[in-house]
Amino acid sequence: MKSAQLLEEILETNLTYLMLAQRMLREDRPAAMYRLGISRDVADIIEQLTPGQVSRMAATNTLLCRFRCDDRAILSLLSGYRAEKPMPAAHGSILLAGQPAAAVA
Amino acid sequence: MGLKSVVSEGRQIELAIELIRLGARLQVLESETSLSRERLLRLYKEVKGASPPKGMLPFSTDWFITWQPNIHASLFMEIHRYVVVHGDLGGIRATISAYRLYLEHARLQQLEALMSFTRAWTLVRFFDSKLLTSAPCTSCGGNFVVHALDLNKDYVCGLCVPPSRAGKSLKWQRAAA
Repeated sequence: MKSAQLLEEILETNLTYLMLAQRMLREDRPAAMYRLGISRDVADIIEQLTPGQVSRMAATNTLLCRFRCDDRAILSLLSGYRAEKPMPAAHGSILLAGQPAAAVA
Repeated sequence: MGLKSVVSEGRQIELAIELIRLGARLQVLESETSLSRERLLRLYKEVKGASPPKGMLPFSTDWFITWQPNIHASLFMEIHRYVVVHGDLGGIRATISAYRLYLEHARLQQLEALMSFTRAWTLVRFFDSKLLTSAPCTSCGGNFVVHALDLNKDYVCGLCVPPSRAGKSLKWQRAAA
C-alpha cells in the first residue's frame, strides 16, 4: 500500500469512528458507552467535539480507536479459535464487558 | 388524582407501555410505576391484545445458577453493571437498557433469549437483596452470577469447564448442523 493511500484510509477510519461514536452517544448514551467501552469523561469529550475538531483530530497518521481484544482469552473466543468450547461469543462478550472502561488518565 | 401532574402520569404510562412491550409481567409494572392495577390491566390488554398471565413470578435464585441460564444471566449482569457504573443509569432504566443490549446480543448470535424481561428484573432484585452476586472465574477472569453465600474463592465458570452434557442436547445438535 502506498503511504499516501494508507494515510487517507486512516483519516477516513478516524472520521467514521468519531462521527459514529458521536451519533451513538447522542442517541442512547449509556448503550453507546457500553458499545464503545468508554467511561463518562471520554464520552463527554467525544460528544462535545465540534465538526472542526473532529476533522482535525482525524487528520493524523495514527488510528484513534484502540484494539479492545487485547486479552488472549477474548481474542481467541471472539475469533472462534477455541470453537470446541460452548457459546464463545457470549463468553467473549462477558469478558469484554468486564474489562475496565477507557478513561482519561 | 387531582394532585398528580399530567406530565408525570404521561411518563408513567409511557414507561408501562415500554415494559409491556419488553414482556414484563403485571407484578413488574405494579412495582415500577405508580399507576393503579386497573389502569395497568387495561393498558396491558390494549398493548398486547391479551390478558396478562396470572400466577406468581418465578422466585428461585437457582434458575440463574443452572448452566445455560447462568451464561445469559452473567452476560446481562455484566452489561447492567456497565450501564450503571459508567452510564449513570439506575433502577428500571438500567434494567431496560441492559435488557435491550442483551436481546441484541442473543439475536446476533442466533441464541434463544432464555431470559425474559421479568427474569432479568428479578435478577437485579436478587443482586440488590444480596442473594446473588458476581464472582470472577479463576480461569478466564470473567464475572459470573453465583450464590452470595457459596464459597466462590476458586470459582470456575461453566464456559471454561462446561458440564459433560452441555451442548449435547438435540436442540443444540440441530442448531449446529
